[in-house]
Amino acid sequence: MAIIEATDLTKVFRRIVRRPGIGGAVRALFSREYEDKVAVDGVNFTLAEGELVGYLGPNGAGKSTTIKILTGILVPTSGSVRVAGVVPYQRRQENAENIGVVFGQRSQLYWDLPLRESFELLRAIYDVPRNRYLENLAHFSAILDLERFFDTPVRQLSLGERMRGDFAAAMLHDPKIVYLDEPTIGLDVVAKEAIREFITRVNRERGTTVILTTHDLADVERLTPRVILIDEGRVIFDGALERLRTEYGTHRTLVVTFAEAPIEIDVPGAELEGREGLVARLRFDRRLLSAEALIRRVMERYPISDVSIIEPDIDTIVRRIYVEGYQHGPVGTPS
Amino acid sequence: MIGTAEGRRRPRFRLEPYVEFARTAMAREATYRFDVFTTIGSFVVRVYLLRMVWTALYAHNAAPHELSRHAIITYSAVALLMGIVMDIDQTRALKDKLHDGSIATDFLKPIIVPFYFFADGTGEVLFHAVLLIPATLIALLIFHIIVPAPAVLAAFALSFFLGYMVGFFLNFLLNCSAFWTLEISAVQLIVTWLTDLFGGELIPLILFPAFLQNFIYALPFAAMFSTPLLIYVGVIPPSRYLESMGLQLVWIVVLALVSTVMWRAGSRRIVVQGG
Repeated sequence: MAIIEATDLTKVFRRIVRRPGIGGAVRALFSREYEDKVAVDGVNFTLAEGELVGYLGPNGAGKSTTIKILTGILVPTSGSVRVAGVVPYQRRQENAENIGVVFGQRSQLYWDLPLRESFELLRAIYDVPRNRYLENLAHFSAILDLERFFDTPVRQLSLGERMRGDFAAAMLHDPKIVYLDEPTIGLDVVAKEAIREFITRVNRERGTTVILTTHDLADVERLTPRVILIDEGRVIFDGALERLRTEYGTHRTLVVTFAEAPIEIDVPGAELEGREGLVARLRFDRRLLSAEALIRRVMERYPISDVSIIEPDIDTIVRRIYVEGYQHGPVGTPS
Repeated sequence: MIGTAEGRRRPRFRLEPYVEFARTAMAREATYRFDVFTTIGSFVVRVYLLRMVWTALYAHNAAPHELSRHAIITYSAVALLMGIVMDIDQTRALKDKLHDGSIATDFLKPIIVPFYFFADGTGEVLFHAVLLIPATLIALLIFHIIVPAPAVLAAFALSFFLGYMVGFFLNFLLNCSAFWTLEISAVQLIVTWLTDLFGGELIPLILFPAFLQNFIYALPFAAMFSTPLLIYVGVIPPSRYLESMGLQLVWIVVLALVSTVMWRAGSRRIVVQGG
């Protein structure tokens, strides 16, 4: 059963246009000009209970706006949204009981209080039964290693420690859904690993539905079987990560080391991606040309000393999609 | 749809979170211990200075007939005692959170957000109210302030509470204006001056010229300090308690209504613009 349903979700922000200089500032006092910016433009998706989905897109694509609508902070301009049977912006408080949120760039913990006190406060806010609270706390501190800084005021915690605290805080009341907005941003490898482990276990053991926005595609490869790609407010891909890889990862790169530097590199069927001294990178479509054929073409033209092939990683795929747009194949339908 | 019927359920109101907010605010305030000494110290100095001023004025025969020298020193001391809790901007957290955008996280919680600010502010004020004990002792033992009859004292306490609520809503309103302007310190400064001048904290309002008094009583500031203080020193007799405190109550209702409207409009703005 669908736990999140977004239909034709659209959000238009109205901004005051500011003209440069003092003249502009004075003019703005008398007449204001507005400019509409479409942040989310007819987004559709459905999430089943217990899914773990990566919500990806470049900066300003509309990810955070979507999350804010789902959490009930923002009212959509048009379209409909339902989270666990509740329209979030109509029943913000009720929706809040169903969800947990972690913002990588903003802590929800109480700055002046030790972590322990923050948790106690959250227990009171969400009315978590004492037993359940202690159980969850013990469980989370085992995974996230919270014991060491339980009694330290939050403002004195390192970013990694604070994020672990934030994760535990978001999960204390057993939310049905958690929204993670760039949760691994700025973390070191160890902390990232701890957080990823936590996300996996929460999803698997508790059946919590997770929406994750991130710029770290390692998070996606590690965690989310399904990805939704959004750009300029529109969903440009929705489907299995694997499908994205096969459909869009059509281009491989041949790295050639020449024996002597050629003046001009021109190989039919391949595009010169970059060149540094003797080393050149040639990009080719594996559906049109095999690696073997390409190597032969290169060797016919230039003396070479070494070749290697780079398979497209998810990072490259997504980067290309951000730059070029999604062009190959139809836009995916929810699986 | 399935969700619709269940969706009608409203979360039942629980007091517990708000009690906890107040408790944590007290704990937070307790970490700034140095405040205790500065507050008591500045209280003693200010009462002492005001006593000198009034003594000098009375020596030059500038005395009002309603208040004896001793009564006016009592007035000043009690005003400064009230100031220990009244001068706190309890809801400044609202302004701060609007400023840095962290208000969004409060809207993510199943709480009534303005109640949170009220609870947090109350906790802060209650912590500072503890300072009233040593300060009152000093006022009694060093400055020998007049202690009125228990019935008058009770009326004063009630009027003080009403004055506190007027002050609370006034502060809340000011902090709410940060929804639109973000920078409110200039407006706050002006209101602080108006309160100092027209609230009766420094100078009893009965000393103002008659034409100005009408104007002053049309403002909410007198309901904060002047009414409870004049009850304390007996200028407002028991026969006028109902009328005086009724006026305070009217101010509370008016300011609460304006606050509600401001909050609705302000938080709607967040909801529309995304903080």
